[in-house]
Amino acid sequence: MNWLLPEGESLLFDGIDQPLRILRGLGGGTQGQVFAVELAGSSRGEALALKWYLPNCIRRDPQLRARLNQSIRLGAPNSDFLWPLALLEPAASSPASGFGYLMPLRPEGFVGAHLHAGGELEISLQNVLKACFHLADGFHQLHLKGLCYKDISLGNLFLEPASGRILICDNDNVDIDGQGQGSVLGTPGFMAPEVLLGQAKPSASSDLFSLAVLLFRLLTRHDPFRGQLELAIRCLDEPARRRLYGEEALFIFDPLDSRNRPDPMEHAAALITWPIYPAALQGLFEQSFGPGLRQPQQRSLTGQWTQAMGRCLDQRQLCPHCGQETFPDARAPRSCWNCGHALPAPLRLQLPQAQVVAAAGNELHPHHFDALAVPSIETPLGRLVAHPSDPSLLGLQNLSESSWQGVLISGAAVTLEPGKTCNLSALQQLHSSAGPIQVLRP
Amino acid sequence: MAFPNVRLSNRPLHFIYLCDCSGSMAAQGKMQALNQAIRQSLPGMAEVARQNPEARVLVRAVRFADKAEWHLGEPTPVQQLQWRDLEAGGITAMGDALDLVAGALQSPPMEERALPPVLVLISDGQPTDDFDAGLANLMRLPWAQKAVRLAIAMGHDADLEVLQQFIGPEPSGAGKSPRRPLQASNATTLAQYIQWASTAVVGAASMPASRVSPVGEASGAAPAPGSNIPLPDLPPTLLDPSDDVGPLVW
Repeated sequence: MNWLLPEGESLLFDGIDQPLRILRGLGGGTQGQVFAVELAGSSRGEALALKWYLPNCIRRDPQLRARLNQSIRLGAPNSDFLWPLALLEPAASSPASGFGYLMPLRPEGFVGAHLHAGGELEISLQNVLKACFHLADGFHQLHLKGLCYKDISLGNLFLEPASGRILICDNDNVDIDGQGQGSVLGTPGFMAPEVLLGQAKPSASSDLFSLAVLLFRLLTRHDPFRGQLELAIRCLDEPARRRLYGEEALFIFDPLDSRNRPDPMEHAAALITWPIYPAALQGLFEQSFGPGLRQPQQRSLTGQWTQAMGRCLDQRQLCPHCGQETFPDARAPRSCWNCGHALPAPLRLQLPQAQVVAAAGNELHPHHFDALAVPSIETPLGRLVAHPSDPSLLGLQNLSESSWQGVLISGAAVTLEPGKTCNLSALQQLHSSAGPIQVLRP
Repeated sequence: MAFPNVRLSNRPLHFIYLCDCSGSMAAQGKMQALNQAIRQSLPGMAEVARQNPEARVLVRAVRFADKAEWHLGEPTPVQQLQWRDLEAGGITAMGDALDLVAGALQSPPMEERALPPVLVLISDGQPTDDFDAGLANLMRLPWAQKAVRLAIAMGHDADLEVLQQFIGPEPSGAGKSPRRPLQASNATTLAQYIQWASTAVVGAASMPASRVSPVGEASGAAPAPGSNIPLPDLPPTLLDPSDDVGPLVW
């Protein structure tokens, strides 16, 4: 690659006092190139990245500079965004031309979401759902600030498979919703039909459509519009995509119109993964891709997505036969999507605002206790864990900072210090710092 | 306890090099430069293929001199491709090469469903056989009409007119997309064009990139109709391909 900035050299930029050392080029695309950089004299070696624009990109997008300055002023919606920190222009003495922006460097361990879609990633269903929760939550925070993103796709999302954490990059199209002068339209396959067909500009409501597509692709490893209608397309080029995602778009699981159902051979992924998820979550997709296809105000909202993802995580249950993660509805006991065996009614924890299935890995969060708490999976108060040497023993670990008082089935009292785990099979009830936890036996 | 072992269904993307191996390619190290350029471009091409879950990138190559023949006849996944050197010698049976490719773009052997194929024609001279018949034969096929067709002229002796006929007429509107033959006057430019064709163009043909509306467009606009695959910008360091290029240094 021909790098726009010299690797290994220190450059002076207007806007920062110290010279910035260009460590190495990380990658390039149609807009510009990204470099790992460090501020000279920064003892802690803060990990920063610099995106430097190609002249073409700057010429095509006259509002880019103003938008970046606006985003820098408003600040990141939350830490899941690799948000612009400072706009950099080369100092008069510098050989570089154009401009760019400084942002946090993506840490090791995060990989492009396209690897997940391509089936190349080992990740648990729980962590995919967590990633979806974080993604919906990130857009919730972004939209609450009055902003819209405009160009969500697999290409600007990164995942940490071991945790389900996400990072959203390429935040340079973000603008105040409805005021946009920007030139970006989005990525075909993710664009809302009204944007793809040239009837509207990207906005918070077209974001909701793109978000639903991205969530669907993460949860199913399939595309929401590729079913029987795709099979009729021989050459999948631009005009074909306009029909498939715009003019004739039809959700593959549309409850009222089955013309575009997945083909068992060509679209096997969708048929295997869609039944994994509870009806409430499926319903949000049916809403966004059904009525919401042509009526933007009908699309599922970010808050509905986080709530549905959160509930799905709460009802996660491990199949005793095959060990697979399942998400059966509490009131309709079902069979395992993987092995077909009936799922027994599980042990549950009754919390003031929710029921959480007792399965290793499930977590208790503040919103389970407090009706006013914003749904968040950031700081769990407790976690269900298997005993390290006897996995059949399930316990509840206190992740809070205060000790909890428990009552055993025998009536005896027990104290659960922070970090400690209490065997559930002997437990009747716990009084946590956040509220009561009642063990419900089937 | 893992996400089921499934993946997005993908479509084949056939990428075919048509390489001029006439005797003149032996001069000034042009043949070696082309071999190097293709070999060097493979890791980047493999990376683009990996990033595009919707595509299965399959590479083939035709060599043409006294006659055309498959240099790499088996559609080969780019990740497994090891480039065998082409050798120069003979005349320029370019029309024959187009016939050969036409045979590959018929269904069958062409799959019923695919992404638009990418055809890259590289030449340093004039066809010595019936180019027009070969082109007509090729362009009768729907897959050839849908294909992204690129041409690279090596040096100043290449026949720009036939290369232009291969890629099709230049669209009237102004644009940065190279609807003219790319002129590689030296080994570095050649490598950059090959790199561009095998990464940026493959990316555009396999997975749609983010779209922007043209400058000065007031209302929200649909992607410009016309081309069935919008071509990406050329690398920033390259001159516009229509510009005259300096002295021939190989």
